[in-house]
Amino acid sequence: MNGIKPKVLIVDDEKGLRNGTQRLLQRQGYDVDTAEDGASGIQLGIKNDYDLAILDLKMPDIDGIEVLKEIKKVRPNTICFIATAFASFDTAIEATKLGAQSYIPKPFTTEELIKHLETGYEKRLLLVEADRLKREREARMLEIAYEKSRLNTIVNSIVDGVIVVNKTGELVLFNPASLKYFELNEIIIGENILGILPASVSELINKFIVPVKFENVSYSTSLELKPNRELCVEVTCSAVPHPDGSLAGVVIIINNTTELKKIEFVKSQFVSMVAHELKAPVAAVLGFMNLILDDSINISPEKEKEYIARSTKRLQALIEMVNDLLDISRMEIKKKEREIKELRIEEILKTTLEFLELELKKKGVSTNLNIAPGLPVIKADYNEINRLFTNIISNAMKYNKTNGSIDISVSYSGNYLITKISDTGIGMKPDEKEKLFQEFYRVKNDQTRNIPGTGLGLSIVKRIVESYSGKIEVESEFGKGTTFIIYLPAKL
Amino acid sequence: MDTIKKKILLVDDDLDLLEQNKILLESKGYSVVTADNMKDAWDTFKKEKPDVCVLDLIMEEHDTGFVLSHRIKRDEYGKTIPVFLLTSATYVTGMKFGAATGEEQEWINCDGWFDKPIQIDELTTKLEDTLLKYQQLKNK
Repeated sequence: MNGIKPKVLIVDDEKGLRNGTQRLLQRQGYDVDTAEDGASGIQLGIKNDYDLAILDLKMPDIDGIEVLKEIKKVRPNTICFIATAFASFDTAIEATKLGAQSYIPKPFTTEELIKHLETGYEKRLLLVEADRLKREREARMLEIAYEKSRLNTIVNSIVDGVIVVNKTGELVLFNPASLKYFELNEIIIGENILGILPASVSELINKFIVPVKFENVSYSTSLELKPNRELCVEVTCSAVPHPDGSLAGVVIIINNTTELKKIEFVKSQFVSMVAHELKAPVAAVLGFMNLILDDSINISPEKEKEYIARSTKRLQALIEMVNDLLDISRMEIKKKEREIKELRIEEILKTTLEFLELELKKKGVSTNLNIAPGLPVIKADYNEINRLFTNIISNAMKYNKTNGSIDISVSYSGNYLITKISDTGIGMKPDEKEKLFQEFYRVKNDQTRNIPGTGLGLSIVKRIVESYSGKIEVESEFGKGTTFIIYLPAKL
Repeated sequence: MDTIKKKILLVDDDLDLLEQNKILLESKGYSVVTADNMKDAWDTFKKEKPDVCVLDLIMEEHDTGFVLSHRIKRDEYGKTIPVFLLTSATYVTGMKFGAATGEEQEWINCDGWFDKPIQIDELTTKLEDTLLKYQQLKNK
């Protein structure tokens, strides 16, 4: 018996038979419990998981059939035998119907009993094994269900849209993001969705589905789902192969590329603007050269000299613009080597004014520097701060009236050093003021026509100020003058 | 070419290009009047009644040329003459004011575009062809 003692319950009101059978079976290697009536038989039979039970049919309190029913309710795998001296065909059938293994007529020989019990025990072992397998299977099913729900949770929480179709285009899996991107209200698992998806996406899926042999590659397409770059996506379709290499289905990933497209657009606009601004002076110089070289056109030597001078001026402006562009690009990639030091704004302003002294005199513009006492320092790169004030003060000079003036004051308030630079120049209209800091924007009118400039100076100023967490404001009245107010954080 | 010189209104805010193109067009036998801003261009157009207008696209504002073309083409005299626009090719792509839709093109209503810098022979050929078409229309 493999060392394991089968557990047997004997329920019989006849003491002699009960104990006799117990001793007999114990000798045969069984572990035997006994009960002297139906009630205690039920109690034991329910409490312990017996392999086998021998139940007397006729007992004073509860009969064997009733005991069988009660035990089977709780212990369906306990193999029960009904033993009786009053064997009748009907009770035998009833007992079997209720789940009794068989019917043992009393009196019985040892061999008869053992034979019954051995057969019963074999059945018991089969039942237990079947039960174990069933439980294992259930556990695995549960695990699979859990795994599936975990997969669903993961797929549903992906920001990208995910759709999986089988090799005929029927929907296998999708997440809410995919519905949102394609503005679908509801799609049903098992539904063929090739007709619902955007045509270009279905085309990509068909590249896998239609051929007899598919290639294990990915196809991508960019879609503008809402016009003017409001919603752009990149859709990538990849094959899902079976282990044998044949096509199982196609997974479709929808990635939101709106921000990228917006940045790309701004970039291409900027490049386009730069190209235009660079082209203008080159075209002008080329035009002059062609005129001078063209033998069919008669140009006086004086005119020729004038054209060369004008060409030189355009080229000079072009160089300045290229330098400004390089500065902007350096600032953008932050490669510009900054040397952050404690700086005194008042000293930088004095240096700037000295640097511009000659030009200021030439234009007859007077300056007035008003510095509050005891100013804190700022921490910044000298060249950048110098560039900032040079750009603004030279603008204040260029766009000033002859014999005008520039007032510069520096004060300290709310942890900011506030520099005001006011001119008595031509001023700006409100719409011009708005565009002032845009790249290449220059106020164009009769008064500004002959003032050279790249249209990048103030854009650079703004970038410098903002890179130090500062702020720049502008007040202007057309015909009266302009004031720039620069806030730079003080180093305490 | 007619014995009477045809008069072109040339508008560009780049004074260098304006002068160069004036010289080139004059060398081809045209009479050229110029303006370098929207207001002067309109005044010159009304006063001079040119046979053709050639306008730069970008002057005071990005679309000044469009606006000017639109105004000229709505004028009683202006609608009987060809109007051309000059543009840097870079602006046709990537810029928000490109005349992309038919509606915009109808609004601008010009007779053609030329890339800058001007290829003078290409320009004059197109000018003459268009002038001829307008002449034939008038004769009908």
